[in-house]
Amino acid sequence: MKTMELRVTVNGQPRKWSIGPGDLLLDVLRREGFFGVKRGCEKGECGSCTVLVDGRAVNSCLMFAAKVQGCEVLTIEGLADGDRLDPIQGAFLDHGAAQCGFCTPGMILAAKWLLDKNPHPSEDEVREAMAGVLCRCTGYIKPVEAVLAAAKQPAKRATRKREPAGVAR
Amino acid sequence: MFERVEVFYRPASVREAVRLLAGGKGRARIVAGGTDLVVDGDPTARALIDITHSGLAYIRKQGGGCAIGAATTMAELEESRTILALGGGILARAAATCGSIQIRGVATVGGNLANGSPAADLVTPLLVLDAVVVVADAKGRRKLPIAEYLAARGTKGLRQSLLVEVTAPRPLGRRCGWSFQKLGRTALDISVVNVAAGLQVDGAGRIQWARVALGAVAPTAIRAGATEENLQGRTLDAEAIAQAAEGVMREVSPISDVRASAAYRREMCRVLTRRALEECAAQAGCAL
Amino acid sequence: MTGRKVVGVNVRKVEGHKLVTGAPAFTDDIEMQGMLYGKILPSPHAHARIKRIDTRKAKALAGVHAVLTYKDVPRVPHTTAGQAWPEPSPYDTYLLDSKVRFVGDRVAAVAAESRAIAEKALRLIEVDYEVLPAVIDMELAMAPGAAVIHDEPDSTKIYDRSHNIAGYILREIGSVEQGFRESDFVVEREFRTHRQQHTPLEPHITICWLDPNGRLVIRTSSQVPYHTRRQVGQILQIPVSSIHVIKPRMGGGFGGKQEMLLEDICGALTLASRRPVKMEFTREEEFYMARSRHPQRLRMKMGVKRDGTVLASQLTVLATTGAYGSHSTTVQGNTGSKVLPLYRAPHMRFECHVVYTNAPVAGAFRGYGCPQGFFAQETLVDEIACELGMDPLDFHRMNVIRLGDTDLLSAQLGEGKEGLPRVVRSCGLPQCMESAARAIGWAQKRKKFPSGHSHLRRGVGMACTMQGSGIAGVDWASAFLKMNEDGSFYLQVGASDVGAGADTVLSQIAAETLGVTLDKVIITSGDTDITPFDVGAYASSTTIISGGAVKKAAGKVRAQVLEVASRMLDAPVDQLDCANNEVFTTCACRKAVSMTDLAMQAMYKEKFQIMDGASHFNTDSPPPFCATFAEVEVDTETGQVHVLHLASAVDPGTAINPMQAEGQVEGAVAQGLGYALTEELVLDADGRPLNPNFLDYKMFGFQDMPKLTTILIETDEPLGPYGAKSISEVPINGPAPAIANAIFHAVGIRIRKLPIRPEDVLRALHAERPANLDEEAMFAL
Ligand SMILES: Cc1cc2nc3c(=O)[nH]c(=O)nc-3n(C[C@H](O)[C@H](O)[C@H](O)COP(=O)(O)OP(=O)(O)OC[C@H]3O[C@@H](n4cnc5c(N)ncnc54)[C@H](O)[C@@H]3O)c2cc1C
Ligand code: FES
Ligand code: FES
Repeated sequence: MKTMELRVTVNGQPRKWSIGPGDLLLDVLRREGFFGVKRGCEKGECGSCTVLVDGRAVNSCLMFAAKVQGCEVLTIEGLADGDRLDPIQGAFLDHGAAQCGFCTPGMILAAKWLLDKNPHPSEDEVREAMAGVLCRCTGYIKPVEAVLAAAKQPAKRATRKREPAGVAR
Repeated sequence: MFERVEVFYRPASVREAVRLLAGGKGRARIVAGGTDLVVDGDPTARALIDITHSGLAYIRKQGGGCAIGAATTMAELEESRTILALGGGILARAAATCGSIQIRGVATVGGNLANGSPAADLVTPLLVLDAVVVVADAKGRRKLPIAEYLAARGTKGLRQSLLVEVTAPRPLGRRCGWSFQKLGRTALDISVVNVAAGLQVDGAGRIQWARVALGAVAPTAIRAGATEENLQGRTLDAEAIAQAAEGVMREVSPISDVRASAAYRREMCRVLTRRALEECAAQAGCAL
Repeated sequence: MTGRKVVGVNVRKVEGHKLVTGAPAFTDDIEMQGMLYGKILPSPHAHARIKRIDTRKAKALAGVHAVLTYKDVPRVPHTTAGQAWPEPSPYDTYLLDSKVRFVGDRVAAVAAESRAIAEKALRLIEVDYEVLPAVIDMELAMAPGAAVIHDEPDSTKIYDRSHNIAGYILREIGSVEQGFRESDFVVEREFRTHRQQHTPLEPHITICWLDPNGRLVIRTSSQVPYHTRRQVGQILQIPVSSIHVIKPRMGGGFGGKQEMLLEDICGALTLASRRPVKMEFTREEEFYMARSRHPQRLRMKMGVKRDGTVLASQLTVLATTGAYGSHSTTVQGNTGSKVLPLYRAPHMRFECHVVYTNAPVAGAFRGYGCPQGFFAQETLVDEIACELGMDPLDFHRMNVIRLGDTDLLSAQLGEGKEGLPRVVRSCGLPQCMESAARAIGWAQKRKKFPSGHSHLRRGVGMACTMQGSGIAGVDWASAFLKMNEDGSFYLQVGASDVGAGADTVLSQIAAETLGVTLDKVIITSGDTDITPFDVGAYASSTTIISGGAVKKAAGKVRAQVLEVASRMLDAPVDQLDCANNEVFTTCACRKAVSMTDLAMQAMYKEKFQIMDGASHFNTDSPPPFCATFAEVEVDTETGQVHVLHLASAVDPGTAINPMQAEGQVEGAVAQGLGYALTEELVLDADGRPLNPNFLDYKMFGFQDMPKLTTILIETDEPLGPYGAKSISEVPINGPAPAIANAIFHAVGIRIRKLPIRPEDVLRALHAERPANLDEEAMFAL
C-alpha cells in the first residue's frame, strides 16, 4: 500500500503520521489512540465521529485524512484544560446529559462549534447545531439543557475563525 | 474502502485539477466535501483530486446576478448576503436543509450537482434561477444550462470534466415571488419531494413568467414546462394555482421506494407546488 | 423527610467524567498486539442450503489467519437469547450451519490482519447455494405447504416445527365467552406492528484473546456477561472456568445486547487463530444481522357494560420471531401478561402463535412485547370510550388496576412457564393520570373542537401502561463489598450498566446503607472473574434485583462496621449509626469515629477484612406505571403528524437518582415516538432489508423532539430497595397509542397500524372524508 506523510496539529500537539492516501480521518485518529472519536455509522449520519477541523465541526468518517494536512484538529480528548473541564463538559455532568456516553464526544464538540460562533444561542439554534448527532439514550432533552446552561456561563474559550477567504457577504 | 487509492492530490488551480483529471486514466476522482463520494465508496478510484484548494470557493456578484464557485459549501451559501438576496434566498434556504452542520460545513454546490441525485436540494432552486454551469476539461471551458448539464452529466463528454462554477443571472425586476418547499420524514432528511418556484406578475396581477421545478420525482430534478406555459399570461389567483398544482402531477414520473410511494410523491407534488405558488403570490403582492 | 443523604439525590454519574472527556472506556477503545479483524459472510438468500463451500482461496490470501464454516465447528443447538438457564427460547441456532435462514445469516467467518483483507477474503469464499422457497410474510408461515424453516432434527424446544411455529401460548382466567355474553357492548379490532431496530449508537462489538493461561477472554458490549459465558462454553464446548467475560462501558443496549451475538464466533476465530480477534457489526449489519422488535398482528376484543365497566378482554396475537426463536415466547407472553391486567376485567384470554419466517431475527427490546400490546389495547379502549360517549380519562379512572389488586394472569404466564401472581403493593397510576392530564391541558383541549378550516388540525390523546421490575422467581443477583484502608468501599456487582446509569444507582444504594458519601464507593461491574453472579441487565431488573442485592450486602457490611465501632467507641451497636463517613453514637454523649480510623483499626489492629456479599431475588415483579398524554397536529394535506407536546408521568417507586430517572423517561419516549411515527426496518419481498442505514431508517433527532413534560410520581414499593421499582421500560409503551388516539381526536380517523406513516394517514383521511371531518359528527363522539 502506498503511504504519504501527514502533518497535522491534534489537540495543540504537532504530529507527523504516515497514512494511506485513501485513509479516512476517523480511522487514522482511532489508530493513533484518539478513542474519543467514535465509530457509529461511517456514513455521516450519526455524528459520533465529530471532530473540529480548524474550528469547524466535521464528520471524521467522511473526511479523507489527507485533507487535514496543515490543519488543527480538536478531539474530545483535547477539550479540557488539564483537570479543568470545559463548561460544556461540566454542564453535561450536572444535567445528566450523558447516558451511555457514546454520542457524548460528538455532542460536546458540536456544541463547542456552536458556542464558539454564537455564545448565546436560542434553544432552536442549539437543536439545529446538534442535529447531526444522533443519540439513542437521552431523548435529547438534557443535552439541550446542558448546552444552554453552559452558554450562560462566562465564556472563557478561545474563539476560532471559520470564515474562509473569498466569500462575498 | 479506499485502500487502493494510490495518491491524493491537492491542486492549487483549476488548470492543475483539470490536468490531473485528464491524466487519471478514468480512475481519478474529484473530491470536494466528500459527503457523497465517501458514502458511495467507489472501489475503482486510484487517485483523489481535492479541489477545495483550487480557488473554487467563492461567491461573486456578477452583473446583478452571481457566480458561485463549485467548491463553495452549503454553510457559505446559507450565510452569504449575496445568496440570501438572490431569488428570494431560495438557494440559501435549500442549502440550509442539506443535512447537519457537519455535512453543510463541507458539502459543496459542485458536489451536489455533479453527484446527480434526483433529490439533490440545490438543483430545483438553481433550475428556477435559470442557472448556467461552467465546466472545464483538457479542451477548455464550456457553459451549459443546468438542465442540460444534468442530462449529460454521466456521458463521456462530461465525465472527465470539472465543474468550475454556477452562475445565476440577474433577478428580474419587481413583483417577483420565490419559494422553496421540501418535504422530509424528519427535520433532517433527504427530500421525499422538493419544489422550487419563481414568478413575476405585472401591475394587473397577470403572470409574466413562471418557473416550477420539482425534485425526487423523476430521474433528475425537472422543470414543469407545460405547467409554466399554462401559467404565463394568467391572472395569479387561487384557481390558477390549483390548476398548476394539478398540472405538475402529470409532468412528474415518481417511483416508489422506502421513502414514499409513487402515488404519495405525486400527490405531494400537488401540495408543495400549491404551497410554493401561494408563497410566490404573497411575495409578489397578490392577494388570493 | 426521609433523612436520606444519597438515595433520592441528583448526584453526578459516577462514570461521567470519563465519558465527557473521551477516556478509552468502551470495548473498542483498546489496541492489542497482533489483533485480527473478524468478519462474517452474510447469506444473500433468505432461505438456502449450502451445497458446496470452498474456502481454499480465502485461506490462501496473505494476511488471513482463520476461515471457518460449519464443517470446522461443533454443532450444538442453542439459543442466542441471554436468558437464565434453562432458557425458555428454542434451541434452534448453530454456530455455523449448512443451511441459512435469513438474509444476513452466517455462512462463514474469517479472521485477517485488516478489515480490508477480511472483506477481500469473504469475497474469495465460493459458495453454491440451493435456494429454497422462503417464507417472508408471517401470515403465510403456518399455511399448508409453506417451506419448513427448521427442518433439522436436532433443534429442540420448538413448538411445532413442521408448521413453523416456534412457540404457542394460551391462557385464560374466568371465561371470556361468559364475559362477552354479559357485556352490553363488544368491540373487536385488528392491529399491526412492525420491525423496530434498537440502533444503539455503539453497534455490537466483541474482542477476544487468549490470556497467558490459555483462557479465553471475551471483552464485549453485552447486557448479559454471565449468560454469555455459560452459552459460549456450551457452544464452543470448553469449560466455563476457562472463559473470562469482561463488559466495559456499553454504548447502549436496549435489549439488543441481551443476546450472545458475536461472542461465540469471535471466540471460535480466536481459538482457531490463537490471536486476538475483534469483531464488530457495521451499522448496516447491525440493522439486519442483530435483533429487532417482534412484528405482530393483534386481534383485540373487549366487552364492557353500558357504564363503561370492562368485563372481558381477549387478545389473539400472531407474531414472528424471524429465522430463530430468540425470546420468542417470553416477549410474546409479556404482550398478554403485562398488558391485559391493566384492566380489572374478571375474564381474560390470551392466545399467541409465534412463527418463524425467513426474516431478520427478533429479540428482546425495551418494552419486551408491551409496546405492541398496549398499542392495541389502549387504542381499542379509546375507541370504546368514545363510542360510549365517555371521556377516555374517565374510562381509565374507572377501570385500571389498583393498589391491593392481584393480577392473576401473571400467575399463569411466567418466563416461559407458569408464573407467580402479581400483587400491586404500590400504585401511583391515578396520580400519574391526573398530573399528565393537567400538563397537557386535557380538560380544555378535549372539549375544544379543533378549528375547522385550516389544514392543520390538533388533538389530544392518552394511554396508560405498566411493566414489571425483574422476572418474578427467575431473576437474581449478587453483590460483594469490602472496605479499604481509607474508609472507602469496593463494590463488586455482576450487574451490567447498559448506559442507563446502573453503576451510579447501585453505588448510591451502597453509600446510603453504609452512611458514606458517594465518592467512597468504587464500583466494578460486569466482569465474570471479579464480580459475583448477576443474570444481567434486562426485564427492568437492575435497580430492584441487583439493587436489592447491594442493599443486603451493604447491610451486612454495615453490621460489621458497627461492631468494630462498638468496640472503638465502647457503645452498644444499637446505639450507633453511620452517616457522612463516620460512625457515631446516637445517645447524648455524641462520640464518633471516622470510617478511615475504623478501617485502619479493623485491618491492622483486629486483623480482619470488613467484607461481605449477598444474593437477592424476588417472587413478585412490582409494576411501574405510566400515563402518556400527547397533543398532535395533523397536516391534512401531507398526512404528516407533528407531536407538539408529550407528557409522560411515571411511577417508578422511589427514584434513587431522579435526574437519571427522568433521563430514562426522556430516552424511552424518544424511542417510543420513533416507534410510533418514523422507524421501521423494511424488507423487500425476498427478505432483503431496504433501509439498513440512518439515512432511511428514521430515528428522532434533536429537532424532531416535541416539548416533553416528564413527571415522576414516587411511591414506596415494599419489595424494592429504598422503595424503588423500575423506570426504563414502561415509558416506551405509551407514545404510539396516545398519538393514535390524539390523531383520532384531531381528524376522526383510527390508525391501527404502526408506524403511523404520512401516506397512511392521508389515505385514511381521503377514505373517511368528508363525513368524519364534519364538525357535528365529531362533536357527537
Ligand atoms: C448524512 C448526509 C445527509 C445529506 N443530506 C442531504 C440533503 O438533505 N440534501 C442534499 O441535497 N444532499 C444531501 N446529502 C448529499 C451531499 O451532502 C450533497 O450532495 C453534497 O452537496 C455533495 O457535495 P460534496 O462536496 O460533499 O461532494 P463530493 O462527495 O466531494 O462529490 C460528489 C460527486 O461529485 C463529484 N464532484 C464533486 N465536485 C465536483 C466538481 N467540481 N466537478 C466535477 N465533479 C465533482 C465527485 O467526484 C463525486 O462523484 C447528504 C449527505 C449525507 C452524507
Ligand atoms: S460515524 Fe461518522 S457520522 Fe456516524
Ligand atoms: S448517551 Fe447513549 S447514544 Fe447518546
